[in-house]
Amino acid sequence: MIPRAGTEIPTITRAPDAIDLFMFSGASWLIHRIHYDLPFTTEHDGHPGLLVHGPLQGTYMVQTVQRWLGRAARLVSITYRHLAPAYLGDSLECGGSVAAVDGDRVTCELWIHKLDGTVATSGTALFEVAP
Amino acid sequence: MGVITEEARRWAERDYPDYAFTVGERDIQKYAHAIGETDPMHFERAAAVEAGYADVVAPPLFPYVIRMHAAHLVGRDDLEPDGSATADVPPLDTTRAMAGETTIDLEQPVVAGDVVTVTKRIVDMYEKEGRSGALVFVIMEFTFTNQRGDLVARERFTRIYR
Repeated sequence: MIPRAGTEIPTITRAPDAIDLFMFSGASWLIHRIHYDLPFTTEHDGHPGLLVHGPLQGTYMVQTVQRWLGRAARLVSITYRHLAPAYLGDSLECGGSVAAVDGDRVTCELWIHKLDGTVATSGTALFEVAP
Repeated sequence: MGVITEEARRWAERDYPDYAFTVGERDIQKYAHAIGETDPMHFERAAAVEAGYADVVAPPLFPYVIRMHAAHLVGRDDLEPDGSATADVPPLDTTRAMAGETTIDLEQPVVAGDVVTVTKRIVDMYEKEGRSGALVFVIMEFTFTNQRGDLVARERFTRIYR
């Protein structure tokens, strides 16, 4: 079923833990220390905690739509930007809305919020949805 | 201002070798588990075939895994103290890196057995004054092509150095 413009997308919440960060670094062979070495991350980079990978947050955005529409939704393109760092321990609420529908092409505005309401990541994704 | 040196400009203009990645079933399974996917089409051939794919199919943003291996599957001596690949880091006084914006266009799914070649080039590098000093934006473009010559994906990615 093709959704209508303006529809709110049901949110999902992700709270990636140390295992999730490890698995994502390992599977993608991303060796950057800010995702696993806390003393380095605080002392060298000045962050209060280990960072949740940007591309992992990108997958959460895609999953938000796919949990809702299922396999019928095929990702065609996505743009996302990181506005505030997300840290290990943050609870990330992922949601959005349908911005436009053109035939079977559905454009979604997507966001990832932290518990305090800060937007960690915002984006736009185009899906092709089987009727 | 003026942190981008001539040396860094020359660095940005150099050619990167293409990188061919043979996509194994396990590469897809590991990534799918890492992002919390549970759909059997990412794990079992029969389920993927039933869903219309030739073999175990990767979640859509899998090309990221390919370009990370292209940059980071190097010897231990070719990594910086922060774990970045030396060849991937511009010769600047900046020491900290973060992901900025990305845009990915997908054309073809990636399935187990595909050989995906990624080409990389740096399309732009510029600086802005941030709250805690200069920020350098490096914009890269990646093109992913499979063994049939089909375009799999294109990505335009910004990494921020400070």
